[in-house]
Amino acid sequence: MNIDEIFDYTSFNIDREAHIVLDPAICVRCDQRACTNSCPARCYTWSEEEKKMTFVYDGCLECGTCYVVCRPGAFKLWRYPRGGFGVSFRMT
Amino acid sequence: MKKNFDAIVVGAGPAGSSAALTMAKAGLDVALLERGAFPGEKNMFGGVLHRLTALEEFFPDFWDQAPLERHIVKKGLTFMTGEATFNVNFDTQASDRTPYNGYTVHRPRFDRWLAEEAQKAGATLITRTTVDDVIREGGKITGVTTLRDGGALKAPIVIAADGVLSLTAEKAGLRRPKFDRSHMAIGVKALIEMPKETIDERFGLVRDQGASTEIVGCTEGVRGGAFLYTNYDALSLGLVLHLGSLADSGKTPYDLLNRFMAQPQMAKLLRGGRLLEYSAHLVPEGGYEMMPELVGDGIMVAGDAAAMCIVTGLNLEGINLAAQSGVLAGKAALEAHNSRDFTKSGLSIYRRMLEESFVLKDLKLYKRAPHMLHNDRIYTSYPELVCGIMDEIYRIDGNPKSTMTQLLMRAVKEKVGLKNALADVYSGWRSL
Repeated sequence: MNIDEIFDYTSFNIDREAHIVLDPAICVRCDQRACTNSCPARCYTWSEEEKKMTFVYDGCLECGTCYVVCRPGAFKLWRYPRGGFGVSFRMT
Repeated sequence: MKKNFDAIVVGAGPAGSSAALTMAKAGLDVALLERGAFPGEKNMFGGVLHRLTALEEFFPDFWDQAPLERHIVKKGLTFMTGEATFNVNFDTQASDRTPYNGYTVHRPRFDRWLAEEAQKAGATLITRTTVDDVIREGGKITGVTTLRDGGALKAPIVIAADGVLSLTAEKAGLRRPKFDRSHMAIGVKALIEMPKETIDERFGLVRDQGASTEIVGCTEGVRGGAFLYTNYDALSLGLVLHLGSLADSGKTPYDLLNRFMAQPQMAKLLRGGRLLEYSAHLVPEGGYEMMPELVGDGIMVAGDAAAMCIVTGLNLEGINLAAQSGVLAGKAALEAHNSRDFTKSGLSIYRRMLEESFVLKDLKLYKRAPHMLHNDRIYTSYPELVCGIMDEIYRIDGNPKSTMTQLLMRAVKEKVGLKNALADVYSGWRSL
C-alpha cells in the first residue's frame, strides 16, 4: 500500500471549506511535530529548508490523531467536516 | 424541518442508535443526528462485534436480522518476530451455536442497519448534519446547533454519542479540553479482498465461521499490536498503536502496516489478496481512567464518547459497551420524562444503571490493564523470548539438549531479566 495513492483506496467528498486550520507559527516553534509521523493519512509535511508545515486536509481520515498529539493552540479551527463531506468509508 | 424533540442523540453509531431505538420504541420523539451521508459512513473499527446482550430484547434473532459477515468460532493469539510466529488458538463448537459470541461486520453496513431500525421504531434520523455546539439555557443543556444552515434543535435531553473525541461532551464541559496522548491509540486498517473459499481453506473454517487473531511483536517496538479478522470474502487487518509511543518513535502507521503485511508468515496468509480500503481511527484505550463526567444538566454521554473501551491485550471491547450504555441512557431518558426532571440529579439514574451493569463493573475491573500494557518488553522482548524458546526446542543441530528449565531460565535472563519477568507476571496477574 502506497499512502500517496490513498485516493485510489478510500473515497472522499472533499469540501471547499477546510475543517482544520493550523496556526503555522505554532508548528515552527514545535519541538516534536508528532503530526508528521503519527497522522495515518500523511496530511502533515514539514519542510526543513523552508521551515514550513504544509497541511492538506483532502485525504483526512477524521481519525483525531492531530487533535490529540498537537500542541495546545496549534489549531485555529478543528472540527469535523460539514455534514456529507469528508471521508466516506464504503465497507471497512 | 421540525425543531423540537423529546431527546436529541448526537451520533448514529452503536451507542447513539441503541439509545434512539430504546427511546423511540417507548414512544419518545427522538432526533438521531449523523454527520455522515449515511450512518456508518465515518465508522471503522479493528474489532469484533461482540455479542450485544443489550439489544437482544429488540432483536431476539439478532444473527438472522443484522447484516453480519461471519460469527467467530476461532480466537487466536500470535507472538511474532521478524521471521517467526508462535500461535495459540482456541477453536470451539460452543461458539458455533446461537447466540453467537461475536461477529465480524462491515461498519458502514452494520451501523446503517441499526440506525434504520431506530428510524423504523419512530426516531427521526437526520444525516449530513454535524453538531457545532450545545445550547444552554439557565445552566442546562437544552439542544444543539448544527453546521447545516446554522440550524438549532431543541430537546430537554441531549445524548452525546459522537465518538472518541466527543466535541459535544467537551462543549458541555463534561470532559477536559486536552486529551492525554498516553490514553489514546491509533488504529489503522486495510481491508483485503479474498474469495470465501480461500479464506475458509487458509483459516480452517466452514460455512459462516470466522476467525479472529491478535498479534503482538509486529510493531517494531512501538507499543501496540495487530489484528486479523475474517469477513465473508475479505480480511480485515491492521495495527493498533499507542499514540504517545508512536509519536515518540518517529515511525509512521502506514509504513509499520506495510512491513507487518510483508512479514513472511503474514504474507502467506495474504497472498493473492487485493487492497479494497484503508481506514484509521483513534481508540480510547485509557478506559476508566479517562472517562468524562457521564451526566450533566440535560445531557448524558455514551459509548466511545465516554471512553467505554476495554483493552486487555486479549480482548478489545467497545461496541458491546456502547450498545449497553446507549440502551441505559435511553432508559434514563424515559425515567426523566416520567418524572419531568432533566437535571443532573434526575439523569443520574444513568450512572447508577451503568454501575449495576457489566459496563462500569468491567471498566473498573480492568482499569489497571492500560498501565500494564505500557510496558515496552511486551512488544519486543516477550515475542522474541517465546519464539526463541520454540526455536531451541525444535532445533536439531548435533548439540546436546538443555532441560526445559535451563532453556527457560537462560532465555528469560537473556531477553528480559529475571526481576523484570517476575514483576511483569505480577503486574499482568493483578491487571487481568
